[in-house]
Amino acid sequence: MAIKNKKIDLSVKFCGVNFENPFMLSSSPVSDCYEMCKNAFNAGWGGVVYKTLNLEKKFKVIMPSPRLNALHYDGKRVIGLQNVEQITDRNIKDNIKDIKRLKKEFPNKVLVSSIMGYSDEDWTELAALSEEAGADMIELNFSCPQMAREGAGHKVGQSYELMTEFTRATKKGTKLPVLAKMTPNITDMVPAAMAAKAGGADGISAINTVKAITAVDVNLLTPLPNISGNSSISGYSGAAVKPIALRFMAELARDKKLKLPISGMGGITTWIDAVEFILLGAGTLQVTTSIMRYGQRIVEDLKEGMLDYMIEKGFKSVSDMIGKALPTVVDPSVLPHKKQAFSVIDKDKCVGCGQCYISCMDGAHQAISLDKNRKAEVDEKKCVGCLMCYHVCPVDGAITYKYDKFNFKTH
Amino acid sequence: MELKTKKKQVKPQRTFNLQHALTEAERCLLCHDAPCSKGCPAGTDPGKFIRQLRFRNVKGAIRTIRKNNILGGICAEVCPTCKLCVERCSRTGIDRPIMINQIQSFLMNHQYDIKFSAFDKDSVAKTKKKVAVIGSGPSGLACAAELALLGHEAVIFEKNEKPGGVLTYGIPYIRLSPETLANDIKEVVSLGVKIKCGAKAAGKNAVGDLLKKGYDAVFVACGLSQSNILKIDGSQLAGNYTWSDFLEMSNDPKLRAKAAKMVSGQSVAVIGGGSVAIDAAVSAKKLGAAKVYVISLEALDELPADSEEIELAHKNNIIFKPQCRIVKIKGDGKKVAGLDGTETEWIKKGLPVPSNARDVKGCEFSLKAGVIVHAIGSRVDSDAVEMLKGAGVKISEDNKAKVDASYRTSAAKVFAGGDMIASGRKLNTVAAAVYDGKTAAMAIHNFLTSTKKGGIK
Repeated sequence: MAIKNKKIDLSVKFCGVNFENPFMLSSSPVSDCYEMCKNAFNAGWGGVVYKTLNLEKKFKVIMPSPRLNALHYDGKRVIGLQNVEQITDRNIKDNIKDIKRLKKEFPNKVLVSSIMGYSDEDWTELAALSEEAGADMIELNFSCPQMAREGAGHKVGQSYELMTEFTRATKKGTKLPVLAKMTPNITDMVPAAMAAKAGGADGISAINTVKAITAVDVNLLTPLPNISGNSSISGYSGAAVKPIALRFMAELARDKKLKLPISGMGGITTWIDAVEFILLGAGTLQVTTSIMRYGQRIVEDLKEGMLDYMIEKGFKSVSDMIGKALPTVVDPSVLPHKKQAFSVIDKDKCVGCGQCYISCMDGAHQAISLDKNRKAEVDEKKCVGCLMCYHVCPVDGAITYKYDKFNFKTH
Repeated sequence: MELKTKKKQVKPQRTFNLQHALTEAERCLLCHDAPCSKGCPAGTDPGKFIRQLRFRNVKGAIRTIRKNNILGGICAEVCPTCKLCVERCSRTGIDRPIMINQIQSFLMNHQYDIKFSAFDKDSVAKTKKKVAVIGSGPSGLACAAELALLGHEAVIFEKNEKPGGVLTYGIPYIRLSPETLANDIKEVVSLGVKIKCGAKAAGKNAVGDLLKKGYDAVFVACGLSQSNILKIDGSQLAGNYTWSDFLEMSNDPKLRAKAAKMVSGQSVAVIGGGSVAIDAAVSAKKLGAAKVYVISLEALDELPADSEEIELAHKNNIIFKPQCRIVKIKGDGKKVAGLDGTETEWIKKGLPVPSNARDVKGCEFSLKAGVIVHAIGSRVDSDAVEMLKGAGVKISEDNKAKVDASYRTSAAKVFAGGDMIASGRKLNTVAAAVYDGKTAAMAIHNFLTSTKKGGIK
């Protein structure tokens, strides 16, 4: 049986293109070929951003090996993933053939062709090829942080003039909507997005990976991944970068001049992550790392979870949710300063581990003590409501907070 | 009457909260082609519902369980998972398996905490077909629920005053919480199923009468409601009970005090080594028996009861007498006073069947006992046999209904499932009975919708 309230579905219109649901594979190893995209469509993804096309006559892509390293932390595997993979290493003919076949077999799914050129002519040519192959949209890869060719990828994304120029060149080759994919390796993304807009971009994709070094092999004195004795600063993705991505989402979406639809990505794994991106302004969503980690099957939970959420909250459509949290994102200078919170500890739930005590004692305001049964107690006069205790407490619901009626504390 | 141990009140533990469940789900390896999902006789997909929980799709996880198994709450509590899904868990290769039953139990309870229903009843198109289900045990409940979901009217006829069959009368309340039992039965009723209690469908014309009354098909699921008594000297004495009579007494809050009075301060001997023997033994102990023996032909490591149950018995100081048999039940007047037994051994090693046992000379023993509980299997009760025969249903040598792969009996419009069919199954579980019920419902649905004249071919 179907989920209640049959009127609601996950369809969304984005840059004039109809999506059956907002979930797409992002341009990456997961959208490398016909087979992977076909499987994704069958699994329920609404669209794919095909792995970035390359004109091999201009630049031959050779992938380093090994090309991945991951951050494992506190018993959890792959909190973040670092890669040195570049754009496609398959030839343009094969990729165009795959795109054609995918569009023929899945006319109702959205196929976005990601492209990367090295001159105006390249961008125009790739755009025309994509449109001819049947792509629904084009995404401009201005953001791959590990291209083995100087002046490509995120180097373009850091140069406003080039972005305007290459976007304009792309638009020359196609009438399809064009998304500019942004690098987060920049102080402020808004001027960069404005530069793409100046060149005619219809939407923004954000974020590409964050430049990082995940680890150093302390025996071999080399960062990882160790590629025949060397390593590079390269793109980092997954759950660990979600907070960074959400920041850019909000900044792009609330800008009064930019006003472009955003395809959001960066660490989306659960429907809750997905809703967060939408509430901060994303209109469609892209996923790679959690597919690499858990498989295409996660789309079932993304869709079912989001639909249940919408029904529960009374949202009529995905568009209904876009940017709904934005009005509450304000500059720190205008945050309300009238009330002060303090921690409340439920002694029945407290297991007496003292984590809150340690954090408060050594890292906060010495407001917590342990009673004779090792249960934590808060001195409301000392507590400033930072909530460090709440965040370290291992028991759900043992520490909460409420607002203080006392005067504001300045210590 | 509340039963108390020295430490705390005896109450089935509803142990997991959301945090526990999520933490346990995070241990799951989210296997490809999950082995656990292949281990459920009811076809439940733990690999899927644990993944759903892990990705915070909590309602989806509840749907996955409930839609597949209307008795998901009961199965989570009583299923011998260590022989099924849990046994196959890949995590065991690293440390210990995922507590699948605990996660399922949590989800089935959490459903009520968040006031969520897995079903959208309004979307079911009614077919105007009526099906009578005889027996409200797991098979009958599952069949009726599935039929209702397929748009048919399902009416269950239950001979006892309370619904549930073996769930209500044969599983001790210390193992299956009455709350869970009631919740799952409510789920069935909420789908529009009518349960008529105290409505015995008996006699040779029972099935025919139902069909005459306008039911388009009948699903017979009476279970094995007559239990066997060991035929030895003294088994006619007062103080001999079948496991089902004994458990019915201890399970029924009204009769529990009487059962407690009966075993209080007494030695109780339970004959048998399966789950029900352990259930009876532990129940007797909880009711206040001074000593409880479990006497079985099988060695400890051959007992059909699962390891968790045996552990529970050990915790309750049950005394095992493995590889033993009772020779004679001794009486004091008309009442049971004790028994004579002997140790046994297998003639051929590794073949634990009664015909392969022989006495070991010089190892005879005597025990004092005021109550003997016979837990040596059950059979289709004689009324049900008469009903089957009257309906023209072919039965096996042990009086079980013969069915084809679609749970169709030899009689037109009559289907059967659960423990009362000749299935050849080794492990009769609630989950297997649920599978019978829902699969039979599908077959009945196909039968009712495949031809124009109400399925008459």
